[in-house]
Amino acid sequence: MSGAANPPGSAAPAGAAAAPAPVPEGDDRHGHQASIGLGALMLAAAAATLVDAAGLEGGSALIGAGAFPTVVALLLIAAGAALIVRSLAKLRGAPAVGPALRARLVRLAALIAALVVFAGVLPYAGFTLSSALLFTAAALLLGAPHPWRTAAYGWTLAGLLFLLFDVLIGLSLPGGPWGF
Amino acid sequence: MTDENTPGAAGGSAARRRRRGLARAGPFAAAAAVTVLLAGTAVAGGERETEHGFAEGAQFRILAPADPGGGWDQTAREMQAALRDQVGRAEVYNVGGAGGTIGLNQYARLPADPTELMVTGLIMVGAIETSGSEVTMDDTTPLARLTTDYEVIVVPEGSQVRDLADLVDLMREDLKAVSIAGGSAGGVEQILAGLIAQEIGADPAEVNYIAHAGGGELLSTVLSGRSTAAVSGVSEILPQIEAGRLRPIAVSSAERLPMLPDVPTLRESGVDVELSNWRGVVAPAGISREEERRLEDLIMTMARSRGWQEALDRRGWGDAALAGPEFEHFLQAERKRTTEVLDRIGLT
Amino acid sequence: MAEIASLIDGFGAALSPVNLLWALLGVTIGTAVGVLPGIGPALTVALLLPLTFRLDPAASLIMFAGIYYGGMYGGSTTSILLNTPGESASIVSALEGNRMARAGRGAAALAAAAIGSFVAGTLGTVGLTFLAPVVAGIAVDFGPPEYVALMALAFVTVSALLGRSLLKGGASLLIGVTIGLVGIDEQSGDARLSFGLPALLDGIDVVVVVVALFALGETFTRLMRGTGGETVEPVRDRAVLSRSDWRRSWPAWLRGAALGFPIGSLPAGGAEVPTFLSYSAEKRLSKHRSEFGRGAIEGVAGPEAANNAAAAGVLVPLLTIGLPTSATAAVILTAFQSYGLQPGPQLFSESGPLLWTLIASLYIGNVMLLVLNLPLVRMWARLLTIPAYAIYAAVLVFATLGTFASGGTATDLLVLYALGLLALLMRTAGVPVAPAVVGLILGPLLEQELRRALALSQGDPAILVSSPLTITLWVLMLLALALPAVARLVRRDVGAAPAREEGEEAFTRS
Repeated sequence: MSGAANPPGSAAPAGAAAAPAPVPEGDDRHGHQASIGLGALMLAAAAATLVDAAGLEGGSALIGAGAFPTVVALLLIAAGAALIVRSLAKLRGAPAVGPALRARLVRLAALIAALVVFAGVLPYAGFTLSSALLFTAAALLLGAPHPWRTAAYGWTLAGLLFLLFDVLIGLSLPGGPWGF
Repeated sequence: MTDENTPGAAGGSAARRRRRGLARAGPFAAAAAVTVLLAGTAVAGGERETEHGFAEGAQFRILAPADPGGGWDQTAREMQAALRDQVGRAEVYNVGGAGGTIGLNQYARLPADPTELMVTGLIMVGAIETSGSEVTMDDTTPLARLTTDYEVIVVPEGSQVRDLADLVDLMREDLKAVSIAGGSAGGVEQILAGLIAQEIGADPAEVNYIAHAGGGELLSTVLSGRSTAAVSGVSEILPQIEAGRLRPIAVSSAERLPMLPDVPTLRESGVDVELSNWRGVVAPAGISREEERRLEDLIMTMARSRGWQEALDRRGWGDAALAGPEFEHFLQAERKRTTEVLDRIGLT
Repeated sequence: MAEIASLIDGFGAALSPVNLLWALLGVTIGTAVGVLPGIGPALTVALLLPLTFRLDPAASLIMFAGIYYGGMYGGSTTSILLNTPGESASIVSALEGNRMARAGRGAAALAAAAIGSFVAGTLGTVGLTFLAPVVAGIAVDFGPPEYVALMALAFVTVSALLGRSLLKGGASLLIGVTIGLVGIDEQSGDARLSFGLPALLDGIDVVVVVVALFALGETFTRLMRGTGGETVEPVRDRAVLSRSDWRRSWPAWLRGAALGFPIGSLPAGGAEVPTFLSYSAEKRLSKHRSEFGRGAIEGVAGPEAANNAAAAGVLVPLLTIGLPTSATAAVILTAFQSYGLQPGPQLFSESGPLLWTLIASLYIGNVMLLVLNLPLVRMWARLLTIPAYAIYAAVLVFATLGTFASGGTATDLLVLYALGLLALLMRTAGVPVAPAVVGLILGPLLEQELRRALALSQGDPAILVSSPLTITLWVLMLLALALPAVARLVRRDVGAAPAREEGEEAFTRS
């Protein structure tokens, strides 16, 4: 994890991908918090699976529809609990990293919002326009420097995809009122 | 796009400035070119449609509620080809899964547009019951039945079972010891197994039915010789029968089938059951009576066309064209029978 | 050998300039759709089928063969370069391939994949030409108990895929198995974990999960880390494949092909399982074991070869017993039938020239793919000079396009996003995502086949060891458990020479 957020564009052709992280992935404070979150999620999934499996009728089969899910749920509980316990123990001693978590969460929320809006408008606004907008929004959130140029790239990409798949191959993509 | 990663660098010479100018104008020029192409194809596409008198000449769309390659997909694509003379280019799209109920669910939300068609059949009627789908055939306008595919009961080549009577004897003796492999739970094959059990006085819920998602998995169980018998659509399993790997003992049709002339029907063998895996076509609910009548004419004209008859031959489907009130009566009867047997199997 | 004479005739029919153009068109389209997650060869061939009815049968068969093999090939390109597999069978290639790409060895990884695909695809096609009836004979002996043993073997060997921490890898595997529970249960028809949502009734498509865990997870992670402005140095080495790369790759290609072809020809085999097995075999047998997880070329070469050999293997049951074992095969079967070619036990004896044209076109498609892709390897690798923000914005567009194109609705997109967030959580916690896909693929197979087997035997577990094949597979599984120790012994026996070599390489690399 690189320390401070890179100002967009400043890290042009950087050498290797990410600078080698000082701590292995998942062993910093956020990593342990995420592990606890994941463990909790697994426990919740296990609970849902158990309830769901209990609601299934056994039928006449020897091993019913609920048997395998029950086993999986028990294993989920074991693994989830182990993740939580281990990360709770290590959380205090873990190195803290990366400030500005809140700003990043806001960016993530913005991207999710863009994706949800995309899913909503796709049937009405057509594939090309919605995808171009999605591309532009995502690229800008990821740190693209030139909004208009990015939008032009997005439109070109979406248009080419539409031409390739809808016109050439015949896969029908949502057209929108203007046909593309 | 490769020139994009040097935005911060200062361009000195004129050549570099020109290149940067190009890099800046390039994407916009490309976008403009794509727009022209898109607009061009959109206009040209508008001219392709023929005048068929439905919904201002809009393109027909046929929903195949299964993944590419299956029976419904094949039906939809054969319709697409056979309807070409009458309605021009039609589009087929697939929404597969859960015995067609996922496609049905999506289809039921469409507006009452007569150019939106969907392929359907017995499997969907059964799947609506087993999955407890809230959307049913009532949320569509049934148009016509088109084809039938019959089921055949087979046993491994080395099996002790010689004919259906043997199988029935085994089932009467110890129902649970007779494993019957077939397609998905609640599908045509299980319905047939249930109907046979019911007919010979056994409890359909006690049939040891082994479900399989697709033809491949089914064949792997049957050919390994581990199930007592298997039920399958005739056309899917015919090559194995011809190769002598599997022995047919009965077909589910009312009369013997031309491709298996030596195989008796269930009725001939003393089990009074007849079942056909029929497929048909529906329109959205809420279209006008007039539109329904004209769509039925369109489909029946297609069903008589040479192209369609050739498709039936090629696929080994039976011609079962039936439209109007007769089809609706047939559909009601099928729903009733299917619901009853699925109830008794315990799948609803 | 009558086969060879017929094959030469087949080449005669297939090798006209016009047909070569069709082959080129086919492999190009195939590569394009393989690259895009969610749009596979099945859908493409189904869409193109009506357009080709007026073509010469040989021409369309050649094009379809190109699309089929091209689709298998294309999936690995994005997998290696962008860590976003286009098909579920190229997930394993992402593990080592993407590491190599990040270290500036993208071109080498792509070349190892391309040549491996060619070698294995050709070997697989040779197997199809000469061994199809034999292999098909063995394949039909695979019933539910054999599959249970095979899946158990696969589950044991995937421990190689779990990564550094057994707990985290296991958690990921379980998450995948849980996702695999969603949908209608095959045996009973009951809906599980569907919460009354029609979109969940058919389960969550493997492609959606792959796209979400890899493509969306990668995008979200980049966003959170603020690494969107970065680029990767695409090519560091002068030669695409160094001599040591060759030496390490060719045994992996051969082993991959040897695993892929037979498992691909099983009626319920598929192309994914052999890639898992190949990866763990390479990891266990490699002299450079410590490189695994950091970009070992064997880890790309083996699975890629396995994947392509399996693609040829899938044609064995299709042609010899008329049995389509994948969606693509089902569509290709439709295409065969429309040209009067009836696959089945009599195909080889009865159908004559068209079959050999098809087999010849498989060879041609393979060569064409190599010709098309090998010179482009460096160009593909230069894709990485595009800044990450542009790449991942485009990946989002592809991902949503793929989900939507395969009959998706807004609900499917929401499932995709939710799984993308799950992937972000997993990545932040340092939990690998590949095992989840393994669990998703193997879990349902194991469960269904186990229940089928026990239903067939009315609950008697003895059925699981009731045939020589099952016993062989269980023994293999025990061997796989014991193999690490055995491999260590073998290595000691081989002696000093390889050890010195290893030392040298490690030295030059650092």
